[in-house]
Amino acid sequence: MKLFKLLAIWCFILGATAGLQPVHAQPGQSQVEYSATTAEADIEMADTLRQDGKIYVVVVVLLTVLIGVLIYLIMLDRKVARLEKQFKE
Amino acid sequence: MKNYWWKILAVVLLIYTVVGGMLQEVPRLAILNETIRNLYFHVPMWFGMILILLISVVYSIKYLRKPTIENDIIAYEAAKVGILFGVLGIVTGMEWAKFTWGEYWSNDPKQNASAIGLLIYFAYVVLRSSFAEQQQRARISAVYNIFAFAALIPLLFILPRLTDSLHPGNGGNPGFNSYDLDSRLRMVFYPAVLGWTLLGIWVVNVRSRFEKLRHRLYETV
Repeated sequence: MKLFKLLAIWCFILGATAGLQPVHAQPGQSQVEYSATTAEADIEMADTLRQDGKIYVVVVVLLTVLIGVLIYLIMLDRKVARLEKQFKE
Repeated sequence: MKNYWWKILAVVLLIYTVVGGMLQEVPRLAILNETIRNLYFHVPMWFGMILILLISVVYSIKYLRKPTIENDIIAYEAAKVGILFGVLGIVTGMEWAKFTWGEYWSNDPKQNASAIGLLIYFAYVVLRSSFAEQQQRARISAVYNIFAFAALIPLLFILPRLTDSLHPGNGGNPGFNSYDLDSRLRMVFYPAVLGWTLLGIWVVNVRSRFEKLRHRLYETV
């Protein structure tokens, strides 16, 4: 149970810091030239996606899948640990 | 806490990879656009594969020096997880390539070489399953595993560099390309590599513990 508590706290902290981080437009500061013809601002990026494209929904879904798989792995781990203990006795 | 701190680290790093990988600022690059974020998911598969296969080969060598069941089990389970990472790496690479290079498979030297490398490791699994006797299986596949790893390194890191490749860091260009050095990418990329690798090691850990239990069960019954 200790593990789950720690996990929950970490998820919360990470989620909170990610939520607080302001997503600002990229300043035109690049030292590296990738192409001779295209200026930095001309390159298409998902700028509006960040403003109103609900990218956060995708992040939440991805996190749900990842955390689901991780919890599954943790449960499997504990199951094996329990078996190991039983075997010793 | 002593034994599983690295599992917590893996969870934290993976959550950071997804959140940071999706929301962090990334350099604006032509053709690649937002797909540069695949760097946090595609490339760590290969880094993870190499590291986990390295674990496998270390345990194969350990088996040859000291033939215990445990060494054999870890070598085999690590090889299987390494293969899983490699397959995921090749599939994610193909998906990425379709939208940036134009084709799923463009016979890029690194694509071909990694496919050959994976085939060598598929042969390892087939070879293992063809022995009925445990010690023979363990010893011969341990020897094969060393050769497989020795073949994989030049296939992935040397041969693609000798010719032109679509992959960055190849075609006479040593090491990382300039955009890989971007500090914004690094901030997520290195934790991502560590996180995915630790996840792989975690799976190896659980699977080999399970196999050891099964082996002990057969011994007692």
